[in-house]
Amino acid sequence: MNDAIQVDGLKKNYGNHPVLKGLDFNVIEGEIFALLGINGAGKTTALECIEGLRKYDGSVTVTGKVGIQLQSASLPAHIRAMEAVRLFAKWNRAKADGSMLAALGIDTLAKKQYAGLSTGQKRRLHLALALIGEPDIVILDEPTAGLDVNGRISLHDHIRGLKAQGKTILLASHDMAEVESLCDRIAILSGGELIFLGTPDELTAKVGRRCVIHIKTAQGGESFETDNLADTMLALLERYRQRKIAVLDIKIDRGTLEQHFIDMAGRCGA
Amino acid sequence: MSVFIYGIALQWRLDIRSKTLLITCYAVPLLFFAIMGGIFTSVNPEAKYTLIQSMTVMGVSMGALIGLPPSLAEIYGSDIKNVYKANGVPLYFGVATLFLSAFTHLFLMSAIIYTAAPLAFGAALPENPPLYFGALAIFIAVSLSAGCVLGLAVKNQAKLTMLSQLIFLPSIMLSGIMFPTAFLPRALEAAGNLFPAAWGCRLMTDGCFIPRNLLPLAVILAVAIILCGFLLKRQRSE
Repeated sequence: MNDAIQVDGLKKNYGNHPVLKGLDFNVIEGEIFALLGINGAGKTTALECIEGLRKYDGSVTVTGKVGIQLQSASLPAHIRAMEAVRLFAKWNRAKADGSMLAALGIDTLAKKQYAGLSTGQKRRLHLALALIGEPDIVILDEPTAGLDVNGRISLHDHIRGLKAQGKTILLASHDMAEVESLCDRIAILSGGELIFLGTPDELTAKVGRRCVIHIKTAQGGESFETDNLADTMLALLERYRQRKIAVLDIKIDRGTLEQHFIDMAGRCGA
Repeated sequence: MSVFIYGIALQWRLDIRSKTLLITCYAVPLLFFAIMGGIFTSVNPEAKYTLIQSMTVMGVSMGALIGLPPSLAEIYGSDIKNVYKANGVPLYFGVATLFLSAFTHLFLMSAIIYTAAPLAFGAALPENPPLYFGALAIFIAVSLSAGCVLGLAVKNQAKLTMLSQLIFLPSIMLSGIMFPTAFLPRALEAAGNLFPAAWGCRLMTDGCFIPRNLLPLAVILAVAIILCGFLLKRQRSE
């Protein structure tokens, strides 16, 4: 597979403050790649450098047409959704029709003004606008920030649909659950530095697989944290058997990517 | 070209939906005209000979100096300019479409004053209408160019409003539309000549294009264009 985006030694300073301290990573064609980090880690700045919105030191090579979903408040307050579609279509020499709005479930809002849209509707409109030029690479900055659960699920489905169409997706997020469910590979930023690059499974393997065993018995519930699930489980069951305590239910919490990320960010002093 | 024309037409509609521009380009100037037109011609019957020009100068100055800058700041002080960059649209797109849209709004407002003043207050029409409208077009363009500098230079809306008022008020007070500039102390009369309103008023009242009136407007326009270019370049490098 070829690289859709190649970033080498990307550095960016705001005044004397270094925001990006030399990032190296690649985004492979057709994958969903996430830049992950807490607020202020440098995700948006990195995206803006890749998008060509900011000057930087280092090298960024983008192969293919790019569509960019900017954050909210990047359209005039009184523009109607369909007017924005027509304007973007003219800019991108593309056909303007309502199908993009329909595909994102916001065709009923075609005549509604931008200021009157909800956060979720604005996100969908920005995604629709990013796709108008039929880009090969779609860059999304915090695509589901401020959305409710249904909005997130729906937008995630659309992003997976884009991947199914062969598009490359680069997104910035601080939502671990989103990244875990969506992305093929992730790059974790902390303080402007890359502290991890790989798949969600590789992150889990690197940080360790801590589990929490929740056991419900006739006498109440207990929880046990362990790195060795099998041995701990056997030992616990043996203990309950010896004490003649009936085990009613067992639940195993294998830990989310979020917990692993917090562990890693904590170790790096983020 | 069709992109640009669509942009202007769209901006024109956005301006109508935006209360700020609607108020400053139509509501306040026409209300001022409706009230002050009667007062001016009652207090001084001679005012009917310059009523159209003076009311137009007031309306154009208000629209250009107070109405236009916030709309520009909305674009260039926000992420909207990133939309231009992201879509390969030149940064001057916003200034150009806003300028031309506001130009048509102010020309329309001026035409309403031109039509209504003789009917409402017995105001005298300019002797040479084509020349008058030519002078009006020049004055609107120069005033809007000054408004563009304000809108591009100041991103903070509160500061922008204050600065716009600071320029608009002396511009009107010292332009000669409220009272003859000959009544002013020399220093204030000279200060009034720094603003387009004073020269625009003379250009439209004199009824002929003479270098003495045109040159200062040309200088203000040239300086404003250079400043706009510089400010857009600064925006690009941010």
